[in-house]
Amino acid sequence: MRKKKEPGRQKEQIVESLKLPRDILTGAMKITLTGSREAWIENYRGLLEYTQEQILLQGKTCQVCFEGSQLTIDYYTNEDMKISGCICCVRYL
Amino acid sequence: MIGFLKYIKGYLRIRVWGFSPERFMNLCSNKGILLWDIVKTGEMYEMCIHVSGFRSLRPIVKKTGTRVAILRRYGLPFFVPEIWKRKVFVAGLFLAAAFWILSSRYVWRIELNGNYQITEDVFNGFLEEQNVKIGMERDDLNIAELEKEIRRRFPQIIWASAKLTGTRLSIDIKENDTPLIAEEKEDGAGMDLVSEYGGRIVSMIVRSGTPVVSIGDTVETGAVLVEGKIPIYNDDQTVREYRYVEADADIVLEYGVSFQATLPFDYIKNVYTGREKQSRYLRIGENRLRLPQEEPFLTYDCLIRERMPVIFRNLSIPVSFGTCQYREYLKVEFRYTKEEAEAALKEKLISFLSGLKEKGVQMIENNVKIETSGETWILKGEFLVQGPVGKSAVTARTESGETQENEQ
Repeated sequence: MRKKKEPGRQKEQIVESLKLPRDILTGAMKITLTGSREAWIENYRGLLEYTQEQILLQGKTCQVCFEGSQLTIDYYTNEDMKISGCICCVRYL
Repeated sequence: MIGFLKYIKGYLRIRVWGFSPERFMNLCSNKGILLWDIVKTGEMYEMCIHVSGFRSLRPIVKKTGTRVAILRRYGLPFFVPEIWKRKVFVAGLFLAAAFWILSSRYVWRIELNGNYQITEDVFNGFLEEQNVKIGMERDDLNIAELEKEIRRRFPQIIWASAKLTGTRLSIDIKENDTPLIAEEKEDGAGMDLVSEYGGRIVSMIVRSGTPVVSIGDTVETGAVLVEGKIPIYNDDQTVREYRYVEADADIVLEYGVSFQATLPFDYIKNVYTGREKQSRYLRIGENRLRLPQEEPFLTYDCLIRERMPVIFRNLSIPVSFGTCQYREYLKVEFRYTKEEAEAALKEKLISFLSGLKEKGVQMIENNVKIETSGETWILKGEFLVQGPVGKSAVTARTESGETQENEQ
């Protein structure tokens, strides 16, 4: 009997073979960090929590938590956002 | 640029607090309302939002149970109504704009470049004759005609260009470097070459005219070197007539030149005391406005620095402001030391020699000595030099009949 492939694995293989941008098709969050002072985030669902020490974002598959001090959101739109401040840790929950 | 666009559209700094500010932000982003500069201060959030976005906040606020307060308004939509309340300021603004627009229709500055022989006063007089003056309308200025008139009036100007940039008229001219013939030659008259100095002729190349002297001859000052008349002979070798020409030759003469420079033992030098005073003034056209003040010092000189405000690159107005720096000095008598006197006299000598060199004169021998006489240093120099000679002079006319008689 032929073994049925996992749907997630199958999708990844298609993305890999067609050289498509992984973040769009898999819904993965895209984070660009410049040193520890700035971070650009795309592909998120929403903001769950925001304090000066912690920013918790909801992605499609997971949550991402930015920890640091004096964190501010430079701009916040449906597409992307920018976080400034002293980022000391990025955690995937 | 983005900041400027935000300013044009107008934006608000708001404070959000209540049950779920994070949800408030999420809903804003879902509705396409841009939020920026989000900062948490205590239990509240402060952020910026466009005016259009703020107007559609009501359902979001209701849904999320938050409250919103405006902290500050920014941008043109808020600035304009505010500024309209200040009527005098607005009137001033409009008047200033009107002034600039109006003043840009006139010529406010005339610059002349490249003049060496023609003084600015002479040129300004000419411009006034042509009705080209400061304060004239730009439309009344005919640049092509002005350029033609400049060349017509001043024959020594070989090239003239006038350019109107903004409110500034710049006139560039180029003068003829070779001097104009001082003595006007009569029609049909010949020109001799006469010697300016007395000496021995070293070399001679005659291009036109009849040479009177030859190499090795000794000539006196004012002696004719090349005559500007060429005899035309009859068959019997008598002179029929003279053809008058302009004599042209390269003649090198060896002659003696003497130079003497004197320097008194004492001289007066201005020694600055270091005390200075400054005053400011405003110049409008030809009038200078300044605060009345007493004589700053007993003896002083004044250093003037003047600046013209150029508002836009090419819009200059006849208003300038400047500072007068008064510097006090004392007249102190000094006595030259031997070295100083020698240096000062040598400087005079070098300037004399460089003048000779510019004329193409070559030095053969020199004999320079410095001596004192009474209360004066004297430098005496005797030089034997070789240099070009030949000054034009009108040829003495010889009647052909008279000549024939003489010849016979």
